[in-house]
Amino acid sequence: MNLEKVVFGFFVLLAATLNFGFFIGDIDDPVLHNPYELFAAVVVNLIATVLKFGDRTQIGAVHLATSLVADLQLIGAALMYGYAVYVSSAGMTAGWTASVVSLSGGALLANLVSVVLLVVETVSFHRR
Amino acid sequence: MRTPPAVAVGQAGRDDRWHRRAARRVAASSAAQASAAIFLVMRRMRAPLIVLIGIFAISVLGLTLIPGQDGEGRPWRMGFFDAFYIMSYTASTIGFGEIPHPFTYNQRMWVTISIYLTVVGWAYAIGSLLSLLQDRAFRQALALQHFTRKVARLREPFVLIAGYGRTGELLGHSLDALGRQFVVLDRDPERIDALELDSYHADVPGLPADARDPGHLAVAGLDHPACEAVVALTNDEEANLAVVMAAALLRPELPVIARVTSRALEERMRAFGGPSTVNPFDRFGDHLGLALRAPASYQLLTWLESGPGAELPARGSPPRTGHWIVCGYGRLGRELTADLRAEGLEVTVVEPRAAGDEDDDLVVGDPAEPDVLRQVDLVRSVGFVAGTDNDTTNLSLVAAARRGNPSLFIGARQNQAANAPLFAAMEVDALLVPSEVIAHEVYAQLATPLLWRFLREMPARGDAWAAEVIDRLTALCGERLEALWKVRLSPEDAPALPGWLASGRATLGDLMRNPEDREQPLHAVVLLVLRGHEATVAPEPDFVLAVGDELLLAGWGAARRALEIVLEVDAVREYVVTGRRVPSSWIWRRLSPAGRTAGTTEGRTAEPADR
Repeated sequence: MNLEKVVFGFFVLLAATLNFGFFIGDIDDPVLHNPYELFAAVVVNLIATVLKFGDRTQIGAVHLATSLVADLQLIGAALMYGYAVYVSSAGMTAGWTASVVSLSGGALLANLVSVVLLVVETVSFHRR
Repeated sequence: MRTPPAVAVGQAGRDDRWHRRAARRVAASSAAQASAAIFLVMRRMRAPLIVLIGIFAISVLGLTLIPGQDGEGRPWRMGFFDAFYIMSYTASTIGFGEIPHPFTYNQRMWVTISIYLTVVGWAYAIGSLLSLLQDRAFRQALALQHFTRKVARLREPFVLIAGYGRTGELLGHSLDALGRQFVVLDRDPERIDALELDSYHADVPGLPADARDPGHLAVAGLDHPACEAVVALTNDEEANLAVVMAAALLRPELPVIARVTSRALEERMRAFGGPSTVNPFDRFGDHLGLALRAPASYQLLTWLESGPGAELPARGSPPRTGHWIVCGYGRLGRELTADLRAEGLEVTVVEPRAAGDEDDDLVVGDPAEPDVLRQVDLVRSVGFVAGTDNDTTNLSLVAAARRGNPSLFIGARQNQAANAPLFAAMEVDALLVPSEVIAHEVYAQLATPLLWRFLREMPARGDAWAAEVIDRLTALCGERLEALWKVRLSPEDAPALPGWLASGRATLGDLMRNPEDREQPLHAVVLLVLRGHEATVAPEPDFVLAVGDELLLAGWGAARRALEIVLEVDAVREYVVTGRRVPSSWIWRRLSPAGRTAGTTEGRTAEPADR
């Protein structure tokens, strides 16, 4: 067992599941989307991105790209959330919630690709 | 080439493609080396970055979870944005204070813990980054990438110089003075630093890397389409052979010039497509032979080979008959003795160590000993060459020989550039500086193909002819060779000329006049005219020029600019050739058709055409 692979798989999968947890539920209902979950998704995604640094293989490059996409969308979602709560006078309306959640939905897609890559990598790995 | 002509053309094409691909592969592998170090850096930054992200996440989360109070004492929870904002300025030690409301004790305890955590996290991350930036492998990788980018961006033709010792430096300055671009490889990083400190007009890319590695050669532009020649000048004969091999195999069409000092290696190099080799000892022997036969030819040769800005060297007069003494029977001694004997001179060799091969006139003994010099009959000798590979020995030999016979013709070998003032003070008649001989020879081959051709044809013309060319040069251009350049009389390069050239009365004398005042000569001399494959050396003023001729000129920089104007502007050419002033601007040409037909008198009185 390779500890590095365990940590890597753990963070990639956790990033996807947290993202999914935040995304699931009515898209415009703020009660169903916990901001702490969004925060956790951002942090775990950042860690997963850094873990993918410095891999020279082709699959490693695609891994990094998907993580960067997920980061971009999740940070965008967090910024929109912050704007809705602190700046806009209306607060977390249904419209703002929908925007935040749909951005996290985009990140979820990228995270799913990451997981698929992880699975592909694992399946194509032959134990010698 | 090596394939017989019977082989189909398709074969040659495939060969060519194969070479291209091989070169590209070599370059790619070297570029991968460069990016490997970048990946290593990213990999090493993983741990510090993750620690930093983790610490931030924990601190921010804690702040949002700990209950607080607002201004009126009502319970209040900090949001993510406030928490992130507070942690950001706290971690970076800016510290704006407790906002938006004063903290409770719970919060202050948490912030205290977070301050220590985040400061440690930042220090770790920044420390790792700084130490990585100073990492030798990383800096080398950056230098390699920088160099690769610079070489790839070169658009004008350039020369690839492998080995930037004293020779490379001299050659570099000559090429730079000609406005030619070059790229340098040297194993010694100090030499590359010296290159960067040197004052070149052009930005010269240099890489501290071993030229024996084809990957480094490829990065330095061996596979670049603008690479026009490869020069191998390292101290290491094997390395020069490796460069010749790499160039011959990857870019067989490129001219290669290599420094070489042994015959055996020269033969091994010739196996690779016939590169041009320069052996300084062989050349010195040839030059001394030429100096014996034709002092003026030798003077002209050294003057033109010395590059732009060279002073006219003094004309030596080595004794043509008599007895010579050569000290040191190494590589130089052997070449020199053979060359002098070929000129029909008697030579005695003095060598401290007994050589394996027999020679009738070999005196074994330390030439510094008075007995030995007496034995070789110094008093009745005419020439003396101190040719050992030790400068101190050579200087003391010269001094001893002078004391024994003040009228001797003295030749000496200078090995170290630092000793140049000592040899200059000795006023040696013929000085061999191997690095200079190589640099001059390579320069002559690279400067323009016409100069090389001129220097090859010149010795056959005899001494009196060379003396006359020197007189012509010094009369027109003074004793300093300012510029040496090539002009092609094609319709593209000389748009003002074709009509006049086609008349069949276009003599060289008419062209070489000053465009300011045609009674004055242009301060330049045509050394060679190349028509097709036929070369005319130092043509007379009544030489008739034709379209497509290539001219090699030596003279003032101002003359070069003046000639360019003559070649390009019709009105100036008309004045220079016929003495008529014709208007050059479009409007004046439209307005004064009468002036042109009225003949020379009216043309002369007209206003000078403005250009």
